[in-house]
Amino acid sequence: MADFGFRLSKSSTLDLDRIDTKVYDRLCDTDPDARTCMACGSCSATCTAAPFSGMSMRKVILGLQRGQDVRPMLSNCMLCGKCTMVCPRGINTRHLILSICRIYDR
Amino acid sequence: MNKNIVIIGGGVAGMEAAKQLLSLGYTPMIVEKAQSLGGHVASWYKLFPDMTPASAIVDQLRKDISGANVFTGTKVVSISKDRESYAVVLDNGVSISAQAILFATGFSLFDATKKEEYGYGVYDHVVTNGDLEAWFNGKADKRISSSPKAVGFVHCVGSRDLKAGNSQCSKVCCTTAIKQAIEMKEKFPEADIYCFYMDLRLFGKKYEDFYINAQRDFGVHFIRGRVSEVGETIDGRIQVKAEDTLSGKPLKVQLDTLVLMSGMVCNKSVGELAPQVRLDMDDDGFLRSKDNIYDILRSNRPGIFYAGACTGTKTVPETLAEARAAAVEIHNYLRNG
Amino acid sequence: MIDRIPSGFHPFVLPFLIGMAFVLLYCVYGIFRILFQLPHEDRRKFLLSLINPVTAAKNVRDIFCDCLLHVKLWQRNPMLGFMHSSIAFGWFMLILLGHIEVFLFVPTRINLFYYPIFFNYFVAEVDQTMNGAFLFFLSDFFLLVVLCGIVLAWVKRIRSRLFGMRRTAVPSLVNRIAMYALWAIFPLRLLAETFTAHISGGSFLTGPGNWLFRQILGNDLYYMPTWWAYSICLCVFMCLLPFSRYMHIPAEMMLIPMRNAGLKIRHARKGLAKLQVLTCPNCGVCIDACPMSVSKANIKDCTVYLTRQIRRGNEKRIAEISDKCLLCGKCEALCQVGVQGPEIRIKQREARKFNISQDYSNISVAAPSSTGKVLYFSGCMSQLTPSIGRSVVSILDKAGVENVWMDREGGLCCGRPMLTAGRTDEAMALVHKNEEAILASGADTLVVSCPICYRMFMENYTLPGVRVVHYSVYFDELVKAGRLHLVKSDLCYVYHDPCELGRGCGIYEEPRRLVGQSAAIAEADKSHKESICCGGSLGSLSLSFRQREKITQAALENLYTSKADAIATACPLCQATLSRYSDRPVRDIAEIIDRQSTPTT
Repeated sequence: MADFGFRLSKSSTLDLDRIDTKVYDRLCDTDPDARTCMACGSCSATCTAAPFSGMSMRKVILGLQRGQDVRPMLSNCMLCGKCTMVCPRGINTRHLILSICRIYDR
Repeated sequence: MNKNIVIIGGGVAGMEAAKQLLSLGYTPMIVEKAQSLGGHVASWYKLFPDMTPASAIVDQLRKDISGANVFTGTKVVSISKDRESYAVVLDNGVSISAQAILFATGFSLFDATKKEEYGYGVYDHVVTNGDLEAWFNGKADKRISSSPKAVGFVHCVGSRDLKAGNSQCSKVCCTTAIKQAIEMKEKFPEADIYCFYMDLRLFGKKYEDFYINAQRDFGVHFIRGRVSEVGETIDGRIQVKAEDTLSGKPLKVQLDTLVLMSGMVCNKSVGELAPQVRLDMDDDGFLRSKDNIYDILRSNRPGIFYAGACTGTKTVPETLAEARAAAVEIHNYLRNG
Repeated sequence: MIDRIPSGFHPFVLPFLIGMAFVLLYCVYGIFRILFQLPHEDRRKFLLSLINPVTAAKNVRDIFCDCLLHVKLWQRNPMLGFMHSSIAFGWFMLILLGHIEVFLFVPTRINLFYYPIFFNYFVAEVDQTMNGAFLFFLSDFFLLVVLCGIVLAWVKRIRSRLFGMRRTAVPSLVNRIAMYALWAIFPLRLLAETFTAHISGGSFLTGPGNWLFRQILGNDLYYMPTWWAYSICLCVFMCLLPFSRYMHIPAEMMLIPMRNAGLKIRHARKGLAKLQVLTCPNCGVCIDACPMSVSKANIKDCTVYLTRQIRRGNEKRIAEISDKCLLCGKCEALCQVGVQGPEIRIKQREARKFNISQDYSNISVAAPSSTGKVLYFSGCMSQLTPSIGRSVVSILDKAGVENVWMDREGGLCCGRPMLTAGRTDEAMALVHKNEEAILASGADTLVVSCPICYRMFMENYTLPGVRVVHYSVYFDELVKAGRLHLVKSDLCYVYHDPCELGRGCGIYEEPRRLVGQSAAIAEADKSHKESICCGGSLGSLSLSFRQREKITQAALENLYTSKADAIATACPLCQATLSRYSDRPVRDIAEIIDRQSTPTT
């Protein structure tokens, strides 16, 4: 490739008009409570898997809202349920994880 | 005027309303369950945003209402409708036929032991905002370190928390936390002060400036993440776990004292009185006003009025303004009725 | 007594024969099908158990006690017990008596299948003997017993509360028809035998009945239709049996030996699971037992409806019911036939597809060095109830037990939440990680405070040389050995049995003994194996926070019946859940013991 002295790199802007939130929408069908997340981070702070993988339920929900692939984030989840216990909005985050595991195509 | 007005609660709301009613020519009666007047404000040290000493306000109000009938250390046992008036029975045996009743019952601080994960009553160095104010006022408290390297404030303890039974915001705790953080920093300039918040809600007059001060002049660290676990290290320090949601990483920090910003819940004794005269409770657990916009001070029963934090979380100036307005409402009611 | 019909046959027996042939063929096919569905080693284990004299004797005894006499039902409620055993045992005796009569009076007909059933039609009484009178008396007596049972069954449908049941399952259409057929069989038999009593002989019911009817009706035209109706009812009942709840009668006779052989459910729908589903008699005891049934909306999620939906193959409802359950185990504890509701549900969860699987290969757990010491595992949930861990360590220190708190700074999950979610492989991966760390530590005793973890350790961990012990048992031993001295306080506690500890691991007495030595203790209305789940259980995947609140309130109402000042429990999850709504303190037993104990030295 010719060197023009500059490169075209993918825009790092989050273009809300173009993102694909199909997974999030399907999640909200089964778990409408997901919409009430206020991103307080309680779930991530108490998470048993977080110290090993940076697992964060907050980031998973946000990632889905922004159309990102969240599968790698869930790899260390142990389904221990502490995130559900501490959620101040009463979201059943544990069920959310199971639902997400079902929604993605293999 | 020979109309009887009973004010339940001798905090700033009750006292301010009494003051206004006195000036309108009534002789109201204040019933306060504590041994002295002043309520929560009396136990506070300084008030935001101008660091006004709380005692100055309470002392002035106490002077202003010297003409009222005051029963301290007294509880209302029962209220019942008696034709056009209400029969109010007190636990000292006094019974009053009141033409109007003002609920100035205020709030209770959320019981922080309910959030066991924060370790109040379990660990040696965890206190509430109320405990800290008492300490500022000179009460000894072994839990508050005398030479702290780090102090933390946890916002929203028992507020915005469905699990704790309160989904509403307690409104004043953000500003209170900043106030207390500044006060701690003034006492211990070497200490690191951390505030763990979900959202900072600094809505009132000069509150944002207060926040800027805390950042610029006092170097208070603000961390956006709700604390979910509190542990104790082997040497007895407090270890807080939260997520630093802005960097997206789990965070832990060791502290010498942890202050829990307990939220406001409706005064528990209201639960006993309200059903006797069938007063409605709102979804947030506080008394329900006749209308939440244009009839905040009236209840669903004629002759029963509200002022202050009994209908929801309020700041001191808001409470005082409501109390003044309630006095006018009562005056109009008695004059027309 | 002689044969009245020379051919020994009449067309009215045909419906009965068709029904009987159908049900027998179906059962034989079913037995082989279920045997075939068992994994090879299970089938071998089962068949070997049948020829083992000890288990064989137990099988016979259990079948007699459970299927015929319904001993467990008698213990639960005498009315319910009487109703079931009068029908089952009475019917069994009628069939047995029929055979004895054929054998004694017309032995040449013993090879005819229908003869003992319709004996009274085919014989004529020519000489009265003591034997005959006695047998006729017995068959009238047992017929009366069965009829009493039928009357009670009818009363139960209208007023189940008299039988100790608040709610019963709503019968499906097939069940309803089969039930009416069953109810009709015995009155028809009474009528048929009454009408022929002047020919075949009768006793205290049929004899006078015959005389009465002959006075009223004056001819014999009506007895043939009655025998036909009797036979047809038998046919209807037997033809519907495989598709109705009455399948539980033959299925239970196979389930009992399988249970005694120690088989476990391996497949969601096949083998033992299938047999348990067929064994569910739809009695509905599990409805009252289920903590979720405090909400009307959840009643159709009880085990009786799970078995029904599995039989119907309604996948959507099966998934819903399986995911909602708290796995508290109360339905299983109270089930009269031993349907393992929770286990069947876990297998349904396991059978569903997940498109992401977890991987823990990146995780390594540092092994704490604790040779010769006691290792303490508090479990991840206890991070949210910090007083438990602190109290346990404090008690161990007081008793002079050298200890290391393995997951003080947090550790791995024990794997049970993963297992109950139906993801066995991932759960076992966690188990192996923890096993490695524990074995590498060199400890010989592992004290566990969380009952969820404890059950997992007991059922799924292999830790050679390490004694896994629940803290209540360990502290009880310390007190007995005199290493810990408890002083009674003035408080009165009611002990809430955590599901995983009580029904799950059978530990009921040690926690009570410890609380009883530290304070006064009272019992709630429902306790021990009947205790009510706090509603916080991780067993449920789909119950929302709001739906759980009602369950917790019901559990608290039950605990309040004791009038105790405070609630004691032995599970971090129960403690957190109950204290959310409780009007009185909820404390873990470790906290109570720590407050009330002094070292004895």
